[in-house]
Amino acid sequence: MIPAFKRHPASFRDPAGFVFQTDGIYYRCISNSYKKQYTHLTESGLLDKLIKRELLLPFMEVAIEGDQSDCFKIIKPLQIPFLNYAWEWSFEQLKDAALATLQICLTALEHRMILKDATHLNIQFVYGRAQLIDTLSFDFYEEGNEWIAYRQFCECFLNPLLLAGYCGLEVHKMLRAWPEGIPAAITSSLLPFRSKLKLSVLLHVHLQAKVSSRKANATNENKKKHLSSAQLKNILLHLISCIEKLKYPEQTSTWSNYYTETIISQDYLLNKKEIIRNWLNETEYKSAIDYGANNGEFSALCSKESFIVAADFDSRCIDELYVNLKNKSERNILPLVLDLSQPSPSTGWNNEEQQSFLSRKYFDLGLALALIHHLAIGKNIPLNMIASLFADSVNQLIIEFVPKSDLKVTDMMRQREDIFDDYTKEEFEKEFSNYFVIVKKEIVSGSERTLYFMNKRA
Amino acid sequence: MIQWLYIDPGGGSYLIQVIIAAVLGVAFYFKTGWNWIKSFFVKKKPEKPEEPNDSGV
Repeated sequence: MIPAFKRHPASFRDPAGFVFQTDGIYYRCISNSYKKQYTHLTESGLLDKLIKRELLLPFMEVAIEGDQSDCFKIIKPLQIPFLNYAWEWSFEQLKDAALATLQICLTALEHRMILKDATHLNIQFVYGRAQLIDTLSFDFYEEGNEWIAYRQFCECFLNPLLLAGYCGLEVHKMLRAWPEGIPAAITSSLLPFRSKLKLSVLLHVHLQAKVSSRKANATNENKKKHLSSAQLKNILLHLISCIEKLKYPEQTSTWSNYYTETIISQDYLLNKKEIIRNWLNETEYKSAIDYGANNGEFSALCSKESFIVAADFDSRCIDELYVNLKNKSERNILPLVLDLSQPSPSTGWNNEEQQSFLSRKYFDLGLALALIHHLAIGKNIPLNMIASLFADSVNQLIIEFVPKSDLKVTDMMRQREDIFDDYTKEEFEKEFSNYFVIVKKEIVSGSERTLYFMNKRA
Repeated sequence: MIQWLYIDPGGGSYLIQVIIAAVLGVAFYFKTGWNWIKSFFVKKKPEKPEEPNDSGV
């Protein structure tokens, strides 16, 4: 045991090792019981291959002080800048996470190993790539055995992707409801009839739902193992081809094409960009979060040296942003689906395994552009509570105030009673001044909107 | 960096994998046969000529 170190609250299920933290750095202990597997992983060349292909989070073996009698090795993995969970991913992100898992399993098979679990919780988006973070997921493969994690893979990846592809459901919402994956029986009952005409869906979902609904039959498990490695490989390849073909049904959301169609004017957009670019150039920050990033137009203005979380509640915008960033190989921006009025809660055992969105990181800089009216008027959140939330999350803030006279706010108010007497520029400045010092402010040309640069009060 | 779940992910999935493997085997057999038949009726696309290499001197 390593008593002086803080074991991660999510790291208790697998006896093969555990993650612990010391001086703010995460390490992993590889237990003596996992010695054989770990040695094979490193010596067979599998580890190098996966790290080279950016499918496995890189790490190095280290020596640290303390009693480590339980540990065969201690490894220090690349530190993840911002933990992200499947309930914050868009369709294409979950798809890439699924494909990465299958590619890892296929590669492992070539080295006589296999993934012993296949949950989305083992995957993190790190610098633009879906990577396996659980070094202990590998076990020896014996000819004739099935893929032990097949059902879990289907529940965590394939089923939500199919429901998104066929029914247009959002993957992040489904996985918040079913964090351990969606069972085949539920998926089968929700998918339309036409899905039964597709061999892959018929086999992996509808047939699986039928078979798994039967009472577990001990004789099945005791049968002579006769699933060859070639057959297993075929199943994995079939899953890859099925997932690669999946597409999220085309549908324009309220926020897609925002900058090309619904923005007030080009003059406004250009001036806003210029002001923000100038302010960003004068600011020092290593991490930033763009609340309401839409297609990432303003996240992209941030320094390439910094790490940026581009969050938006519209999963289609995040999907588009993720694909664009992937195509451009811009790896410092992490797009995530976030509804600021309902951020991801902490979940898991003792509410400690997965952290809530807001508790995960304190950012050097926050951008909240054309957002405040959606919170204050769209969601009835008082200005002082909005200011307090930002003060708990960021050190510097670039925020845009959108007055009631603005066309977008007038549109929002059209169908409802005006109960927002306090929603004024003066009140906004007063409430935010309780937490921040307003350093700069500028009216954006072609609009009545004002941009503010604020520093958090000491 | 977190060690995530180690749950029993596989219970009862052996049978379904054996069935899927068998079906995929049969499907592959028919697909190969179908492609063989199709090759008699569909003209082969002429292979693309290699891009001329302009960079050489």
